[in-house]
Amino acid sequence: MVKPNNEKKITISPITRIEGHAQVTILLNDDDSVKEALFKVVDFRGFEKFTEGRPFYEMPSITSRACGICPVSHLLASAKACDAIVGLSPPKTAEMLRRLMHMGQLIQSHALNFFHLSSPDLLLGLDSDPAQRNIFGLIEKQPELAMRGIKLRKFGQELIEKIAGKRIHSSDWIMPGGAKWPLTKERADYLSANLPEALDSTQKTLEMYKNMLGGFEEEVENFGNFPSYYMGLVTGDGGLEHYDGTLRIIDKNGKVVAECVDPTKYSEFIGEAVEPWSFMKFPYFKAVGYPEGAYRVGPLARLNVASHCETPLANEELKQFKKMGKNGVVQSTFHYHYARLIETLFCIETAKNLLEDPEILSEHVTSKALVNRYEGVGVAEAPRGTLIHHYKVDPQGLITWNNMIIATEHNNIAYNMAVTQVAKKYVKAKTLQEGMLNRVEAVIRAFDPCLSCATHAIGNMPLDVRLVDADGKLVDRKVR
Amino acid sequence: MSTNGVKLKIDGVEVAVPEGTTILKAAKDNGIIIPTLCNLEGLTAYGGCRLCLVEVSGTPKLFPACTTPVAPGMEIITASDKLKEYRKMVIQMLLAERTHICSACVANDHCELQAMANQLGVDHVMFERNWSKDDIDLSHDFLAIDRNRCILCTRCIRVCDQIEGVHTLDLKLRGKDTEVIMDLDERWANSCSCTSCRKCAKVCPVGAIYIEGEPIGHTKRKDIAEFILARRNRK
Amino acid sequence: MTQDAKVRVATVWLSGCSGCHMSFLDQDERLIDLAKKITLVYSPIADVKEFPENVDVTLIEGAVANEEQLAMLKKVRSRTKVLISLGDCAVTGNVTALRNSWHHSDQAILERAYKDPADLNAAIPTAVPKLLIKAHPLHEMIKVDFYIPGCPPSADLINYVLVELLAGRTPMMEGRSKYG
Repeated sequence: MVKPNNEKKITISPITRIEGHAQVTILLNDDDSVKEALFKVVDFRGFEKFTEGRPFYEMPSITSRACGICPVSHLLASAKACDAIVGLSPPKTAEMLRRLMHMGQLIQSHALNFFHLSSPDLLLGLDSDPAQRNIFGLIEKQPELAMRGIKLRKFGQELIEKIAGKRIHSSDWIMPGGAKWPLTKERADYLSANLPEALDSTQKTLEMYKNMLGGFEEEVENFGNFPSYYMGLVTGDGGLEHYDGTLRIIDKNGKVVAECVDPTKYSEFIGEAVEPWSFMKFPYFKAVGYPEGAYRVGPLARLNVASHCETPLANEELKQFKKMGKNGVVQSTFHYHYARLIETLFCIETAKNLLEDPEILSEHVTSKALVNRYEGVGVAEAPRGTLIHHYKVDPQGLITWNNMIIATEHNNIAYNMAVTQVAKKYVKAKTLQEGMLNRVEAVIRAFDPCLSCATHAIGNMPLDVRLVDADGKLVDRKVR
Repeated sequence: MSTNGVKLKIDGVEVAVPEGTTILKAAKDNGIIIPTLCNLEGLTAYGGCRLCLVEVSGTPKLFPACTTPVAPGMEIITASDKLKEYRKMVIQMLLAERTHICSACVANDHCELQAMANQLGVDHVMFERNWSKDDIDLSHDFLAIDRNRCILCTRCIRVCDQIEGVHTLDLKLRGKDTEVIMDLDERWANSCSCTSCRKCAKVCPVGAIYIEGEPIGHTKRKDIAEFILARRNRK
Repeated sequence: MTQDAKVRVATVWLSGCSGCHMSFLDQDERLIDLAKKITLVYSPIADVKEFPENVDVTLIEGAVANEEQLAMLKKVRSRTKVLISLGDCAVTGNVTALRNSWHHSDQAILERAYKDPADLNAAIPTAVPKLLIKAHPLHEMIKVDFYIPGCPPSADLINYVLVELLAGRTPMMEGRSKYG
């Protein structure tokens, strides 16, 4: 990747209908053809620094505020890191409830991306009037669909709310070693009653989307369609997993190239690079190097990495999905949308199983313990990919060091490859139209980035820093 | 001394109370609640938070209701636009003095400062915040103190001295540097006088002193001083 | 704000987590009613790129933490009639302002993120907006007309404030000002 240097450029700022602050700078050659596009992240808050000195049990509350769309992911990764510090695994019901809450999170976040953020492109059109190309435009033009999306997101949010008391930043409920209160039968019944509609909505949307896919052949071909590695959590026998399990990395042909049985050893597999024009760092697969070791995470990656789903409806869909790719590996970023819907189906089926298990109502959810280890790592699959929280504490339990590797970060190299691909295909600088730039944004939306998350924290991982001159020539390089 | 010897007016209503009664108690006994923070039943009054300031006719001065005894013929106003503005200012000053971030605090939803701000409609703080970085002491097995949340109400000091009787806690320094300390400014684990009775955590109105690992809703007990006194004095 | 024309509403996010925007969307079916009364003229969830003139109401979430955001904030203020600080980060600084407890917190957080450990000749990103020394609540920089505290403020509260404003009434914040 080159360093921008006074070339002619087109800037898209801000990228809209994503979470967080980003810009794309399209660098042009002298003949106005596209040279490269850069995905720049332009906000930074500094979580790893300002959490120093806080008691470790405050970390779920604080890190939850890294993101308002996926706070539950942070709560869970943080709680798991805290569990490791107290040296306890939570009671079974607490784990089930945490997992159920996680399903709610995935459902609402995926619904948000599909209906509120991406569907204006998919359903109203990539070239449609920008003033109308948003959720309010959808409400006006396709009210039944908009309502379906609103209700599906509401179901996911209510799943979280009924368990933890609040829809967003429900940090009061979770605690190291477990959770503070059980699920009442009344609330469980409420959720079970609303589940069939959510399931039906998802299936309807999936059918609709599959029927529409034929009209998106060009997008499938050109929106971030390139081979890469993929990473995600899997169950013991390779099934789709979001809460626990083993971290697996596969190559573009579906071959397993790394299996991190202990997710706390992530730094043996993943390294990070820095570029001066973005606050977000660039993780890469260490065995291959930077930037060839680009890998993707998130719904597309997880479906590629997993061999099957443990729930029947989603498993059928997964089989059909995998047929689109060689060796069952689907490479086009556009298919994140499809993958997201399949995951939503999986999560609703899983939620149903959890709600039907009588143990979900058990009152045994709390544990009592304080600092027993001085280091803890928690890994979970956020809607957008693998999330890692890594804490070190002093004997009192005050944080001395905090490292957070965020889902969206992992996709950073892929983002840049994708926007470059789309810009080269569609952006004609001499006859620039709004719809061309919207397509560059649309490929970013397919990834569903969460940039507030990604710019909390920059990890303290092995770094590969390259200094390049104005011509993009490597001048210096330091590797830790 | 006659039982209800002093006659006065509170918010236009004639009341009669025993001599020596504070304005705060006189109001409460007649169904009028004046907002307080540092006050706690069963402990001596401190008059530190200034939330209970009331207007007394005949003077522009405001009086803290918790420490001012009634006088015959007094005419007291406990609620007015002026008092509301002053009370809101008190809360704002408390929020600005140290680092108060409700969303990340152990006492979120169980905090008297947060509740008072909500009740009064303090929807923002006009003063520039201090962003203090005071000491957090987690050395004790289960009692914790985060001084960034302390509002210096001294309830902890008073309950430790007056109810438990050991006087482990007190204040050091002055003005904005004032801090609650244990013994002669020891780490809590090294305090020779602390009996670990936890009453300080039970009476703390905010998330400054709490018990680690225990949901704060279970810890807090505003009636603890009153309760112990009543039990101690039972026949 | 006339009763017949749709009210021009904008939303902006600065250094926050977008939770307040999510809470806005948590109005669920009430969004349909809202859609009849307002036009969303600028928002991170809509595609207009330049903040327009003559905006009736702007909701801003997030603290102001870098120079680009400060410039944006001033622009928004000059083009908006009623500016509302939405959520604790905008109202108090909240978690974003936790860094303020460090002196020169902008340097402190960048050093930790990009220069730590010291044996590496790491570079702090330069072609990115310059951080302010502290992260600020909005009213420390510009005049704010209303405040909606909460982390995030509930959808019910956001709905209440919007409904009151659209009806030409002043929202009453006693009992509705809970932080956190």
